[in-house]
Amino acid sequence: MKLREIWKLSSIVYKEISFQSIFSLRVGSSLPQRGRTDIKRLVANARTSTLISKLVTTFFIAIFGFTVFLPMTGFMTSSTPSATRDVASWPTLMGSVTAFLAVVLFLIVFMGLQVSTGFVSSKMSDVLGAFPLTKQDISSILFVSFLRMFDIPLIAAAVVFLSAYFLVGGSLLGGLILLMATVITEIFAVALTIGSAKFFYSRVAGGGGRSRGQTLVRLLFMIVWILPTFGAYLVVSFAGNIVQYLTSLTQSFSSILQFIVLIYPFSYSFLASYLTFPTAPDYTVLGSSIAASIAYVFVALFCYRWVTQTVRTIGGGGAIPRAKGIVKDTQIKPQIPWLGIIRKDLRVASRVPSFASLFLLPAMQTIILSISFSSLSSLTLIVTLSALIGISMITLLLPPTLLSMEGLASAFTRSLPMRKRTLISAKTLLSIVTYLISLVVLFFVAVYLKRDFTLILTYGLVHALAVSAGIMLELTLLARKFWKEGFAVGNIYSKLTTYILTLIPGFVMVALPIVTAFVAFLYAENLVLPIFFTMAASEFAVMTAIVAIQK
Amino acid sequence: MVGADRNVLRQLTTHVWFNQGRLGMEEVAVKVEGLAITYGTFVAVENLSFTVNNGEIYGLLGPNGAGKTSTIKVLVGVLTPHAGSVKIYDTPISNEVAAKSQVGYVPEEVILIDSLTPREFFEFISSIRRLEASVTNPRLERFVSAFELKQYFDTPIAALSMGNKQKVAIVAALLHDPKLLILDEPLVGLDARSSKILKELITFHAKKGGAVIFSTHIMEVAEKLCTKVAIINKGKIVGEGTVDDLRRLVKDAEGSLEDIFLKVTEQEAGMQDVIKALEEE
Repeated sequence: MKLREIWKLSSIVYKEISFQSIFSLRVGSSLPQRGRTDIKRLVANARTSTLISKLVTTFFIAIFGFTVFLPMTGFMTSSTPSATRDVASWPTLMGSVTAFLAVVLFLIVFMGLQVSTGFVSSKMSDVLGAFPLTKQDISSILFVSFLRMFDIPLIAAAVVFLSAYFLVGGSLLGGLILLMATVITEIFAVALTIGSAKFFYSRVAGGGGRSRGQTLVRLLFMIVWILPTFGAYLVVSFAGNIVQYLTSLTQSFSSILQFIVLIYPFSYSFLASYLTFPTAPDYTVLGSSIAASIAYVFVALFCYRWVTQTVRTIGGGGAIPRAKGIVKDTQIKPQIPWLGIIRKDLRVASRVPSFASLFLLPAMQTIILSISFSSLSSLTLIVTLSALIGISMITLLLPPTLLSMEGLASAFTRSLPMRKRTLISAKTLLSIVTYLISLVVLFFVAVYLKRDFTLILTYGLVHALAVSAGIMLELTLLARKFWKEGFAVGNIYSKLTTYILTLIPGFVMVALPIVTAFVAFLYAENLVLPIFFTMAASEFAVMTAIVAIQK
Repeated sequence: MVGADRNVLRQLTTHVWFNQGRLGMEEVAVKVEGLAITYGTFVAVENLSFTVNNGEIYGLLGPNGAGKTSTIKVLVGVLTPHAGSVKIYDTPISNEVAAKSQVGYVPEEVILIDSLTPREFFEFISSIRRLEASVTNPRLERFVSAFELKQYFDTPIAALSMGNKQKVAIVAALLHDPKLLILDEPLVGLDARSSKILKELITFHAKKGGAVIFSTHIMEVAEKLCTKVAIINKGKIVGEGTVDDLRRLVKDAEGSLEDIFLKVTEQEAGMQDVIKALEEE
């Protein structure tokens, strides 16, 4: 089949996967409207949403692409002789290139994990299998469709990286090496995504099981699964530090550089740095880096072939095992409704990557804050309140996603006698637990760093009331909307306006006690805590009353 | 059907509500009046009214896109109607929790929570329905055995065949011993054994005083199973009653339900020409 035909067919497959994943059609939602205009609008919404997702990743790559080269600008303006400058600047460039390639790898894997659910559930391989196409054609179409989900970030990575490189005085040969390194990194990223997706669906999603051991294994897999997310977040948050660290690593380990350059992405970063700032060559190191770079080309070719073959299995849902297990009994343990919802949500989250990663958001935020805490000599009221506003806002991203879980099989579950208040209570509890865990971690960090923890504990616990109120407000708004329209839109991100308009009132609610506390701090310091408590408790009381009357 | 299976069915249909004598055979299970369903400007159902009594198996028949599934979705609370009133055992459907508690529903397109196993799915359903483990487990065990689901009990629903997914949906609909069963094309994908069991179950359910609303495209099944049918075409009921009533309506004393259906839905005219054209091709 010609590349042009593959491209044309992949366009249809790609659009279908985007549409299905955005509206969770395969997972049980039904569209509320059936008019032609409405469907057209929904298709357009799906496209916009996919585009936004791509642009966000591209934005991160672009920002990072230029940030990593910032340390290099110092050398550009330096008046030192070029030979001395070259010796000093190549480790910095090596650090920058390494960091960038690592970030591209992380971000694309992260994005890939988010879209893989839709790719697996769409079972497009089965659809294509009915047409007169060879297995090779189907593989190629699915591979190109999968790549199209990342097209803008993939192109942007190469363009931004090379532009930034040439801006800091890169050479033509160095540019070519970087282009090759970027392409290889992208192949690795796609292979890692496909590999993780296959592994996840065959070992984690496939292993139902109910023993404690199996649950623990699933939990561990879930943590491993979301590590790339965490990695991406850390890398982006600490871009400067990472470049600095990698630079010093390259310098301090000059004696073992010949071994370091054998490791990806150092092989390429060394080669590009050497070709940009040629110094007296250490032939062993140079030879090692060239040999390793060539070896990685072969590894990438192997990955490419493996991905094209594997993508068909995944696209056909073949990664999900169909083996029957030995079942001892058919006993079930019904819980009270809200606990049943929480248990279902946790089970779904442990098997659906896009939901799983969201649970980690507050934890990630906490770790970032913990790292920041270590550089502060004392945890003042201002520091504490700033930390709390950060954690609470991240926590408020969780409830809409938790509610959108109800879109799964909503065509069936909507027929269940579920009260709005039960649903809101369950999701509020689950969300506030993630906030409280963050608080506990911060408390232990404060204790470990021998900082005064009373403020973080007192204000954090009081603020939990306002955060609960914010969560309840978001959920009440969304539950009302979804009850009215049906949970057709399984994916909340497909309706960005709804998502944003829900987040804003929640943010206002958690910010209000903190802003009031700041104001009180300026005029009457001794009244800060009573005012803060009164505000948070009032919000909680009002929202609890509103939730209680939801039928 | 073997004797053991019949015993299982009898056990499964020995309803708590029947034993308690809460239901009379004349009690109205479903009352629909002036129902209208619209999707944007598209009118799916217009001024639909019908009543289903206890002990009845009420068949909803109609061509594709006639409005059967939309009507069923309103009855189970998945869809909000544009106009009209729906009562389930005298409870308005707007009183969602009370109305939905009395209904067991199998949707047309069986899409469940794929990442859960049947065990986890039943746990979720029974939690929402506040079922007691002591009552539910024996009942579940019998259903799982009847539909041969045990070996798949801890396999993710995503990995099950369409037929087994359908069986999971059927068991989930029956788990709480509902008075009213609403089944939208429930036989699709089922093997012969399970299909026979389900049909027997439906019959027993009605005989014991429950009510069943049943949508199907298989006219032979409807003719054999339903005590009353409604034929919907373009969102309106064009014929309602027993098969004999409908025969009288179309003035065809010997006609099968399929013949009646084609006449009432005005699909008969020109059909022979289409078949002839296809044969010539």
